[in-house]
Amino acid sequence: MVLKTLSDLKGIVAGGPRKKLIVAAAQDQHSLGAVIRAWQDSIVEPILVGDQENIRNICAANNYNIDGLTIINEPDTEAAVQTSVKMVSNRQGDILMKGKVGTSSLLKSVLNKEWGLRTGNLLSHFALFEVETYPKVIAVTDVAMNIAPNLQDKIAIINNSVSCLIKLGYRMPKVAVLGAVEMVNENMEATLDAALLSKMNQRDQIKNCIIDGPLAFDNAVSYESAQHKGIRSEVAGDTDLLLMPDIEVGNVLYKSLVFFAKAKVASVILGARVPIVLTSRSDSEQAKYDSILLSAAASK
Amino acid sequence: MVTSLDQMVNKVLESGKKHRIAVAWAHDKNTIRALSEAVRKGFASAVMTGIPGKIISVCRDAGIDHRIFSIIDCDNEDAATRLAVKLVREGDADVIMKGLVSTDKYLKAIMDKENGLMVPGSILSYTGAIEVPAYHKLFIITDCAVIPYPNLKQKVAMTRYAIEMAWKFGIEKPKIALVGASEKPSSHFSYSADYLEMLRMREEGEFGDVIMDGPMDIFLACDRNSSTIKGVNTFIGGDADILIFPSLESCNPFYKGLMLFADGKIAGLIRGTEKPVVLMSRSETEKSKYYCIALSCLMV
Repeated sequence: MVLKTLSDLKGIVAGGPRKKLIVAAAQDQHSLGAVIRAWQDSIVEPILVGDQENIRNICAANNYNIDGLTIINEPDTEAAVQTSVKMVSNRQGDILMKGKVGTSSLLKSVLNKEWGLRTGNLLSHFALFEVETYPKVIAVTDVAMNIAPNLQDKIAIINNSVSCLIKLGYRMPKVAVLGAVEMVNENMEATLDAALLSKMNQRDQIKNCIIDGPLAFDNAVSYESAQHKGIRSEVAGDTDLLLMPDIEVGNVLYKSLVFFAKAKVASVILGARVPIVLTSRSDSEQAKYDSILLSAAASK
Repeated sequence: MVTSLDQMVNKVLESGKKHRIAVAWAHDKNTIRALSEAVRKGFASAVMTGIPGKIISVCRDAGIDHRIFSIIDCDNEDAATRLAVKLVREGDADVIMKGLVSTDKYLKAIMDKENGLMVPGSILSYTGAIEVPAYHKLFIITDCAVIPYPNLKQKVAMTRYAIEMAWKFGIEKPKIALVGASEKPSSHFSYSADYLEMLRMREEGEFGDVIMDGPMDIFLACDRNSSTIKGVNTFIGGDADILIFPSLESCNPFYKGLMLFADGKIAGLIRGTEKPVVLMSRSETEKSKYYCIALSCLMV
């Protein structure tokens, strides 16, 4: 199965068991709106950890009915984050979500050696984009977490993403390794990595997906462009997952698709014991809701 | 002030000037169609090098009277390209344009030290103007095609070329955004030091009367709501005229993403040469080529 739109996520998670969603420092209006919607849709069972009075005030002001919702009162932000992470660590949660707290302090707790959520895997950011002009959802990684991944990191990032896509119902997702050009150029390290990743995939060193690269953006997403260049590839024009060479490229591409192409986005951090919802202030409530759905699907 | 590519064409028409375009190995249908439109509008004439029989037959298939063009007989693409360069060198043409010759051969002829078109000691780079429905005006980007990882000197040259283009568009005080993954300079990002140096140079007046800020992400550069959401103060304020990218790796997918997913159009030129050089991929549409011809005439 392949996702056509982000609304398909609902079909994947609806009717399944409710996932326990722990929200760290939950006194955040935008997060609460999305969390409560996912709760009302029977997708998650939220546990709000944070400043209870503040949470109740926000809910009252927005007419959110929270009768029966679990709130753990922890007004101190640092303590709320620790409590949340420890609950997940003690298997009391299936998904962790960031509320009104900085990304770095949440990640610091997640990576805590004693009670954090490390698994030995690299943490990576995984995003699904829906744009009108591409016939299906396109996954993009890593636009937010790993600054300059080396070859080993890229393998880990692909593995994280492919496992997630498989949980979403994909079989042998098509992975394009992005370059500025489609030729291997010894002066551009990203193209060398791309060639290695493709070959490692052919030799079954990276499994459960079809990798090709380097592919320039146009070859990756357009059959026409690939044909013009005479590229023979199973992936070109039909990409399910686009691997970024580094965060510099990923950040620019992600923001330009959101701003100029009006892309809808859902995103999740993979590689920890549970999926982590780490949306930013500028994300819409819909994006946060879709990210919760994606995380619920990824926590299967 | 020019705010769309059609207005850019109008500006060329208003000048009342006609420029001579030398076309290297002109056997390409989209190139010939774009030129015939430019000739019909009255701002260009064309000298084509190549096999006359082929050029005439492409014209016939496209319903174009080949007599509006001058054709010079050359039986191979190398000779045709060298001849087109020579026409410009010797003042018989004002602009050179690529027909069906490969980009490598075309650039090699242009960069030839003895017989090429380079300004001695100058930096070869690509400057493009993009029109996209989600933005309220044109913006100029660089470099999506030539310099993989520009150093400070190259970034400065790229910026100067972009400023010259902005002036030609009638933008008196261009707003220049130095694009990065975040607004915080960081040793993780190699562009940071160059950007800070460029800001210092601007303060010393080395770029003339311009507004410049960075690093900043695409949102701060192009989204007028972003500086409020992020609480970042910048004179660019989501109203950038020029985007300087840290690498070809980030600029190339940015531009291709806009073309394919955001209904964008681009007109671009090679800079650093004695006369404007039109470089487009063979797969570009007739309309893009037409805009490039107009832009080259504006920049003569």
